[in-house]
Amino acid sequence: MSGTKAEERKGSSSEWRDAFWNPRTHELLGRTASSWGLILLFYLVFYLFLAGMFVLTMYIMLLTLDDYKPTWQDRLATPGMMIHPKGDQLEITFSVSETESWDRFTQTLNTFLSPYNDSYQVQMNDNCPPDQFFIQEDSGEVRNNPKRSCQFNRSMLEECSGISDRFYGYSRGQPCVLIKLNRVIGMLPGKNGQSPYVTCGAKRYRVEKERDEWREDGDKLGPLAYYPPNGTFNLMYYPYYGKKAQVNYTQPLVAVKFLNASVNTDINVECKINSNTLEAGSERDKFAGRVSFKLRINHT
Amino acid sequence: MIYKIQATSQGHFTRVQHYLLYSARQKPHGEFNKARWLYFGCSQLLVHTVRMPDSTYGRSDSYRVATTQDKADRSPKKKKGGTKDMDDLKKEVPITEHKMSIEEVCRKFNTDIVQGLTNAKAAEYLIRDGPNALTPPPTTPEWVKFCRQLFGGFSILLWTGAILCFLAYAIQAATEDEPAGDNLYLGIVLTAVVVITGCFSYFQEAKSSKIMESFKNMVPQQALVIREGEKVTINAEEVVGGDLIEVKGGDRIPADIRVVSAHGCKVDNSSLTGESEPQSRSPDCTHDNPLETRNVAFFSTNCVEGTARGIVICTGDRTVMGRIATLTSGLETGKTPIAKEIEHFIHIITGVAVFLGVTFFILAIILGYSWLEAVIFLIGIIVANVPEGLLATVTVCLTLTAKRMAKKNCLVKNLEAVETLGSTSTICSDKTGTLTQNRMTVAHMWFDNQIHEADTTEDQSGASFDKSSVTWLSLARVAGLCNRAQFKAGQDSLPILKRDVAGDASESALLKCIELSCGSVRAMRDRNKKVAEIPFNSTNKYQLSVHETEDPNDNRYLLVMKGAPERILDRCTTILVQGKEQPMDEELKEAFQNAYMELGGLGERVLGFCHVLLPEDQYPKGFAFDTEDVNFQTDNLCFVGLMSMIDPPRAAVPDAVIMVTGDHPITAKAIAKGVGIISEGNETVEDIAARLNIPVSQVNPRDAKACVVHGTDLKDLSQDQMDDILRNHTEIVFARTSPQQKLIIVEGCQRLGAIVAVTGDGVNDSPALKKADIGVAMGISGSDVSKQAADMILLDDNFASIVTGVEEGRLIFDNLKKSIAYTLTSNIPEITPFLFFIIVNIPLPLGTITILCIDLGTDMVPAISLAYETAESDIMKRQPRNPARDKLVNERLISIAYGQIGMIQALGGFFAYFVILAENGFLPSRLVGIRLNWDDRSTNDLEDSYGQQWTYEQRKIVEFTCHTAFFVSIVVVQWADVIICKTRRNSVFQQGMRNKILIFGLFEETALAAFLSYCPGMDVALRMYPLKPSWWFCAFPYSFLIFVYDEIRKLLLRRNPGGWVERETYY
Repeated sequence: MSGTKAEERKGSSSEWRDAFWNPRTHELLGRTASSWGLILLFYLVFYLFLAGMFVLTMYIMLLTLDDYKPTWQDRLATPGMMIHPKGDQLEITFSVSETESWDRFTQTLNTFLSPYNDSYQVQMNDNCPPDQFFIQEDSGEVRNNPKRSCQFNRSMLEECSGISDRFYGYSRGQPCVLIKLNRVIGMLPGKNGQSPYVTCGAKRYRVEKERDEWREDGDKLGPLAYYPPNGTFNLMYYPYYGKKAQVNYTQPLVAVKFLNASVNTDINVECKINSNTLEAGSERDKFAGRVSFKLRINHT
Repeated sequence: MIYKIQATSQGHFTRVQHYLLYSARQKPHGEFNKARWLYFGCSQLLVHTVRMPDSTYGRSDSYRVATTQDKADRSPKKKKGGTKDMDDLKKEVPITEHKMSIEEVCRKFNTDIVQGLTNAKAAEYLIRDGPNALTPPPTTPEWVKFCRQLFGGFSILLWTGAILCFLAYAIQAATEDEPAGDNLYLGIVLTAVVVITGCFSYFQEAKSSKIMESFKNMVPQQALVIREGEKVTINAEEVVGGDLIEVKGGDRIPADIRVVSAHGCKVDNSSLTGESEPQSRSPDCTHDNPLETRNVAFFSTNCVEGTARGIVICTGDRTVMGRIATLTSGLETGKTPIAKEIEHFIHIITGVAVFLGVTFFILAIILGYSWLEAVIFLIGIIVANVPEGLLATVTVCLTLTAKRMAKKNCLVKNLEAVETLGSTSTICSDKTGTLTQNRMTVAHMWFDNQIHEADTTEDQSGASFDKSSVTWLSLARVAGLCNRAQFKAGQDSLPILKRDVAGDASESALLKCIELSCGSVRAMRDRNKKVAEIPFNSTNKYQLSVHETEDPNDNRYLLVMKGAPERILDRCTTILVQGKEQPMDEELKEAFQNAYMELGGLGERVLGFCHVLLPEDQYPKGFAFDTEDVNFQTDNLCFVGLMSMIDPPRAAVPDAVIMVTGDHPITAKAIAKGVGIISEGNETVEDIAARLNIPVSQVNPRDAKACVVHGTDLKDLSQDQMDDILRNHTEIVFARTSPQQKLIIVEGCQRLGAIVAVTGDGVNDSPALKKADIGVAMGISGSDVSKQAADMILLDDNFASIVTGVEEGRLIFDNLKKSIAYTLTSNIPEITPFLFFIIVNIPLPLGTITILCIDLGTDMVPAISLAYETAESDIMKRQPRNPARDKLVNERLISIAYGQIGMIQALGGFFAYFVILAENGFLPSRLVGIRLNWDDRSTNDLEDSYGQQWTYEQRKIVEFTCHTAFFVSIVVVQWADVIICKTRRNSVFQQGMRNKILIFGLFEETALAAFLSYCPGMDVALRMYPLKPSWWFCAFPYSFLIFVYDEIRKLLLRRNPGGWVERETYY
């Protein structure tokens, strides 16, 4: 009985070996060399053909695209907002006394602001008339390229420019946070000469997960200072014509300086854009037309 | 010691075949049925040879027991104790009491012929033997069965997916402020899919097996016993061996009893043996075989009339019925072929899923993804790989076929058995109807001392004899008048051969034949008004009617008669030759015998015809013919001729057929030749010997292709000899095999890999019915037990329905292939997005939710609709499927679905994905490697190719729009896929688009896709977004390419049969 079993096992193992390589028929995995060759050749040709077809359709699709403006922009109706420095997951935490804790923020700000240096801006960009759109239409088929851009000078950020205070207030517990409005081609963020402006305040947040209890840190926030004055994005920086047409576009910034924020506590801040043309973003998108971040200044 | 249980009935059958074919036809479930076993297409057949009775009681020959023991030891197959018990049960009945004298029996049971048992003895026996009841076999608990359904097949894979989902969600919930609900929902959906599929299969299985209950219904409740000289009615369960029992007409017999006295007692053994005629019982032993002898009556059979008294010899499970019940309910039935195929397919898919999943899990870890991400990839790959909806689709397809078959009077009890008939390579049947067209036609006639071939052409172009012959006209008149069949109304425009007839098969054949050659039979009958009639019955074995003559001046009556040729000849004194009545002399009788033998030898059903003009003086006009108490002459008739009919074999009958029958070898051979089992020109060893006039032993068996094996020889054959026979003969007939051997033969066939179908109606057939891959029971004549043991029931007892079943089974197998090819194809466009997501770091092109929308939503109806597809070619002309080679899912199907069509589909989906991203500002060049920033929630100023900046949510909406577009593209390419999957060989232009369900499916999936994309709220519920109209068209070129590619492939396939394309791509 055990003999038959052993035989069976032997038989099945030799079957397996045959299935892999059958020395009698010279078959590898059930196919001879020519059979393998033929099927692999077929798949090679077939996939080359498919690749060709795919490249062709992609090429045709790319031909239909405009070089200067994407076909659809409906998802960008409300521009997003972002802060700089970004911190770690939009949390700006530092200790006033520990230089290393805010050093990286000032470093990134320095790098980020270097293209905004006045000298560079004067050299590259125009000094535009403020409070009106800087419109440079193409005349029909003739492209009016490259388009000019307006100067945004670093000095316009005053206290937060890093010129007078090279630590952007971090060393004194009065940090500057830069706020920018996402670039969207052709967007006109205001009308009647009214520039959109940024306001920051405390953010309502849920105290604990699952519980419907809300709180805001209004009392901890303290007074704020906005640069340029009133925290406006001047209309002259709009519209944006895209990175191909408007190579030297300088994105306008608003700096917020927390003059007397409470220390040793988390402060939830939300900044939002106020404009008479931009619609409010959807509830789901936490960064359309607003930006929220957490600030914590440790001071001993 | 070894007897065939059905010896008498087989003997009867032989006689029937030779002389009384007509009578046999009239009683389709009696003697005629019992014995013809036909084996289809089984190229090799092994029949277990020696089966000895297991003698438990004293007087058996000891050497036989030894032989049995020897056999059992040598058999390597059976090892476990349980199987050994089953082996015992398979042996023939060990009753010996019928051969003992009554005194001996009394002595054995310590009972008294008058007084019966004492109460004390009865109680003692009851304790010793247990109650007289059938013990049900141990059954698996319901919850175990349920769990088996819940954790079998794909379920394990999906459970893994679901658990990983919950795990991922738990991790996310613990670490993130606002965890995305995706994984939670996905986990819930996956769990739901598994549970629903599991419940579905569970209920499907739960309703199947109630065999034991049906046996219990046959058990009597009460019994009249004589104990201590008093008649008492007791519960049948309390009857013990040795009890003296009295039964009367209408009672069920409460145990196996040895009759000690009887008064006109007749028992109906039909539930046990299928023998429909009541058999008388008497105290005498008439046969060595307990099942044949008259002095034993069996548990649960019915006493029809009279009374009898007997001593109980076996109770409960030891009775003949009990043994069958235990055997039947204890038999392990193997998986159905389709279940095996699906399992094979699940193995392939699971293998691919696990391989890909693990590979990419490891790859993801190596590429530096976090554990959580790697787990999410794993979930995605599993979800994409498992065709979640497929098992439901298969079940629905099978249900649809089952319903279709139910309409054709084929009730399918076990869904999976729907397909089994289609792959059946061996049919064991005691009815030839399976092989023939069930369309009896007149083949030959004998009159004027000559055999003529009947002309069955519609325009009578094939006439081979002189139609003006007086004898022929007389014969036609008898055949037309002595015939109760008539055409159904309203068919005058149809060709005669296609008209429906009310009447039995041979009368219909005669009617059509006469109508074709002599014109309207109805007019003939109108001219010769019927005065009296004796319909056919089994005692007379003839049918006669009396008519007025056509000539209104002739007041004589015409008596016409037809029936079994012998019986007719016996009643004739003259014979009509060349229109003249001649006395029947020995020479003419000899000629008749020769003609009859010749026609009978062709396997044809022969009828004799005669007539007489009744003398007017004895039977004046208005004579009252009394058909009850026949008051007129029924002999001294004038023989007119013979007509023979044949049921033409089906074209579909496969070439290699083995027939197993209880018939006499000569009859069996004739039938086998008639239905083409032994083809023309093939000879048996005996034929060669006869031709060359040498002894049989001198013939080289290898010269003979055909072979007829006698049952008695069969027993003495060793396994090697048996194999030798099977190897060297292509056409084999087993004759004189007993029905008891059915089970053994079924097992033999199955061991050789054949898929066996068994038909039967008696309780004694039930073990074979259960053991067979598909058991087919008779709806009308079948016993309850046989119906319970069977997988399929022929409601109208019409064996032609089996052929319907074979056809439907083959069709559903083909269509399931198509359905699976269709469903599997969309796996590639579901998997590739993940692979590219992981490898080239692009935003995810297709999410798990959308994958589920495809698998459980849009793909379902088209996949099911393929079950409605009609056959591409004559599937009945095909050889039965070889289960070892012809798989449901083979490498060619995978190659086509995954390697070719699936790849085109994936490209279509990716194209839509790139179009949407590019039109929104992200050109393909920007996408590669973007994933890390793209999926970072805190990056809300991600720059696109145009310099615009995007928040997380904004770009995620675009990504989900891409998922929607990818999903819609899959729907679009699946349009083409379902159309190409309609056919495996033919062009769709040949096949046509007549499948309305499929067209509905196309619209349904499109509507569902549009709904999912445009319905408000879908962005929140399923994260699917409205598409711009132009995005629907992205996949159109690919859809078209699929269609064109596959049409070209099929064209090459048809142009070069057996060519490379066929070898590599015909699935």
